[in-house]
Amino acid sequence: MSQNQLDNQSSIDKADLEKLSKEAEQEAAPSSLRIVWNEFKADKVALTAAVIIVVFILFVMIASLFINQSQAMSTNIMDSYDKPFSQFILGTDQGGRSVAKELIMGSKNSIGIAIGLTVISSTFGIVFGLVSGYFGGIVDNIMMRFYDFMMMLPILLFIIVVVTIIPSYNAITLTLILSVFYWLGTARLIRARTMSESKKDYVSASKTSGTSTFKIIFREIMPNISSLIIVDTMLSFAENIGVETTLSFLGFGLPNGTPSLGTMISNANDPNNITQYWWTWLIAAIEIIILTISISYVGQVIRRASDASQRLSDD
Amino acid sequence: MSLIEVKDLEVHYPIRSGFWNRVTDEVLAVDGLSLNIEAGETYGLVGESGSGKSTTGKSIVGLEKPTRGQILYKGKDITKPRNRRELDYNQDVQMIFQDSLSSLNPRKRIEDIIAEPIRNFEHLDKNQEKLRVLQLLDIVGLDADALYKYPHQFSGGQRQRIGVARAVATNPKLIVADEPVSALDLSVQAQVLNFMKRIQRDFGISYLFISHDLGVVRHMCDNIAIMHRGRLVEIGTRDDIYNHPMHIYTKRLLSAIPETSVEGRAEARAHREAVEREFQENQSRYYDKDGKVLPLVDVTDTHKVALPADEIDKEDK
Ligand SMILES: Nc1ncnc2c1ncn2[C@@H]1O[C@H](COP(=O)(O)OP(=O)(O)OP(=O)(O)O)[C@@H](O)[C@H]1O
Ligand SMILES: [Mg+2]
Repeated sequence: MSQNQLDNQSSIDKADLEKLSKEAEQEAAPSSLRIVWNEFKADKVALTAAVIIVVFILFVMIASLFINQSQAMSTNIMDSYDKPFSQFILGTDQGGRSVAKELIMGSKNSIGIAIGLTVISSTFGIVFGLVSGYFGGIVDNIMMRFYDFMMMLPILLFIIVVVTIIPSYNAITLTLILSVFYWLGTARLIRARTMSESKKDYVSASKTSGTSTFKIIFREIMPNISSLIIVDTMLSFAENIGVETTLSFLGFGLPNGTPSLGTMISNANDPNNITQYWWTWLIAAIEIIILTISISYVGQVIRRASDASQRLSDD
Repeated sequence: MSLIEVKDLEVHYPIRSGFWNRVTDEVLAVDGLSLNIEAGETYGLVGESGSGKSTTGKSIVGLEKPTRGQILYKGKDITKPRNRRELDYNQDVQMIFQDSLSSLNPRKRIEDIIAEPIRNFEHLDKNQEKLRVLQLLDIVGLDADALYKYPHQFSGGQRQRIGVARAVATNPKLIVADEPVSALDLSVQAQVLNFMKRIQRDFGISYLFISHDLGVVRHMCDNIAIMHRGRLVEIGTRDDIYNHPMHIYTKRLLSAIPETSVEGRAEARAHREAVEREFQENQSRYYDKDGKVLPLVDVTDTHKVALPADEIDKEDK
């Protein structure tokens, strides 16, 4: 509409602009960060869980800077199976290595892999699901055949074979190998929601408003499924801590001598350790349980915050 | 030359079924429809639910890909995406959607919703753009407070106005208004219709006004097309349709307009029943053996009706 025509029809002109936008700001709806914060305040358990996760990850990342990995992992028969709170705060394992140091280094490796794996596989899964769900038709058909093919592969066996064939690998290559397989669940979930979202009229309105397809997918539709994305990512993260630990537990995870939560838990393979030397594996197991539960609590809060009808807080 | 010419438009949707999810049948949502919309007029498209009105409207704004037929704008067939891009077609032709809630992105603030077409079709600086949005809000009767709110914070009538503000934002030549007031109560209906008329007068916009209710259309439209089963049964001026209806389906729609006065009610009911009986008895003559609407024939210069051959003979005598 040309500016002149509008100026004639409306009593508002340039002079009012500043005053009116000030007024509007006072009436503005609360930002989404504010809503999330209110929701955490209303749910003390989840707040505690969030604090645990943040403090723990920070602690592990910082503390690991001060630990020399090869020194911490060198065996020292003299200190074998020291009890907790004696010479070493959390005791030692069979090789006389400090459980506390191993736990810190192991957590760093395991969590690092879980974060990397989550970032890569969720990003890919989200983009895959958005694109196939939005376009539908032939595009969707081809993408879903690829998906079905990936689904048919026995993932765990496949990873074990790949890991056995590759001569030398480290945390980064392991993360990349795992990422190839762990986007499938996310993709399916996001695709289904995108399909129903794409049928809504606001997408049509964006098309007639001249918005590009790229923007419609990532700026219009994606924010509307953000709660699903956040919850799915949180759950994938909790699950991905499990992926690495399972593999290491089975002996196909990180190479020997690299500490991880999985290798620590595999100490429980030894019947002596299970009963007599519980500190060599139990602490790592409890750590995983606490982390996983905390993550799912935080995920729930964020989902509630993004869905107005489920909120616990007042505004 | 007309602003928009729709020629033999057909939109078919595939029905998939069975184990292989193959196309087994088609819904003929629009099945051979032609109409011309002139600059500055309000053209009514009326029919019962499922007759293909929304599908026609969506094809005209370029949201639905027709199976056959042409839609001409400035001499170009805009059913082809390339022509739409070349003409910046949607700057000129906009839509007001049937469901106001679902047509506003729940994650966007009103400012961003109304500014969306402005950002894409015109290049204004931040302040000019905000001024434009504030003026549009003012025109549709909303306060500046609305700027930073989200769609769920408004009532149905207010949301419909936001939809109107977005549709007029780029000064279009034609707005397809898909049942813009059906979801609103009577007093709010009148308000929304009145400012739609005012905007039309002030900016010279044409409307394709879609409705299932001939009562609403009477106050809005100059020319009216009656649609049934994906085809037109009758086209004419307001006078043709309301005072000289000829197709049994049009008569039936007219008799369904609610009677507001108490005395008239019993009479209206008897009339409605008589019309319904006529419709049931004559249905086989007015539709072909597949239940399809017959081709339109000229009755006068402005009035076209899908009449059976024997009725045409009667007309000639
Ligand atoms: N995407 C689609 N896929 C399959 N069939 C469809 C689709 N959209 C519409 N139809 C069918 O096409 C026909 C016409 O639909 P349309 O939405 O145009 O009707 P309408 O006249 O707008 O009805 P209403 O007054 O209820 O809005 C209906 O029978 C409907 O079931
Ligand atoms: Mg409709």
